[in-house]
Amino acid sequence: MKTITKNLLAFSIGLIALTIAFRFSLSTMLQNRLFGSVWIVATIYGILIFIIGWIFGKKEKMNLPLYDIGFRFHLATYIICNLIAEIWHLIGLQSEYENVRILHLTVIYWGIGLLIHFIIYLVTRKNAIKGIEKSEIFE
Amino acid sequence: MSELLSAWEETYKKGQLTLWVFLSLKDGKKCVDEIKSFVEEQSNQTMTCKSQSLYRNLRKCQHVGIVDFETGEGNKGPERKYYFLTELGLELLNSFIERNINLFFSKQIKNLILSED
Repeated sequence: MKTITKNLLAFSIGLIALTIAFRFSLSTMLQNRLFGSVWIVATIYGILIFIIGWIFGKKEKMNLPLYDIGFRFHLATYIICNLIAEIWHLIGLQSEYENVRILHLTVIYWGIGLLIHFIIYLVTRKNAIKGIEKSEIFE
Repeated sequence: MSELLSAWEETYKKGQLTLWVFLSLKDGKKCVDEIKSFVEEQSNQTMTCKSQSLYRNLRKCQHVGIVDFETGEGNKGPERKYYFLTELGLELLNSFIERNINLFFSKQIKNLILSED
């Protein structure tokens, strides 16, 4: 079964671009003490991720409705968002008001969520034949 | 009456497409346009299908190993995918027919279908 598909790759590229733009905006705004406006950037970032996830996830499902699409997209999002955030801090691009401890906690708590998703993925695998849910094969 | 018939037929047809597609492939290798024509002609136009839906269904069937394709030249130039049932696909179709379609050929059921009372 192909894990990294064309749609997942396109989603990941979009997500990398959005995350870098978000990190840059966030650090710049915090550095300029615009604490009250940060939520706007965060909300736009969240909505845009949702939109590209929706578009490419739907395309992926139309191509072949494999039951693991949600988990693969979630895993890619987890890796990209956290990796960029950690690198951002590692190379010192963060503002003086950002605390790296929050990033590490995000990795842990989100990681727990991802683990739960992985367990659900393993459980639902029983209802699939070669990755496609039984009810969808002849739909 | 006609509204009820349409509602019943709509639900009934949804489950029929796979059977018609597999029957068309049992008849021989076909590209999507030929499958579409076969289904529509042989069902007296009661079954219609969009090429896009057929491609999607065939992709799923190919993924699970009941259908495969080989490429060949089409009438209008570019290469086309010619689909066929694999050994597993043929076995699956025959089992399905035996369990679900042959029932309609029993004397009692045939009489019930043909009687107008």
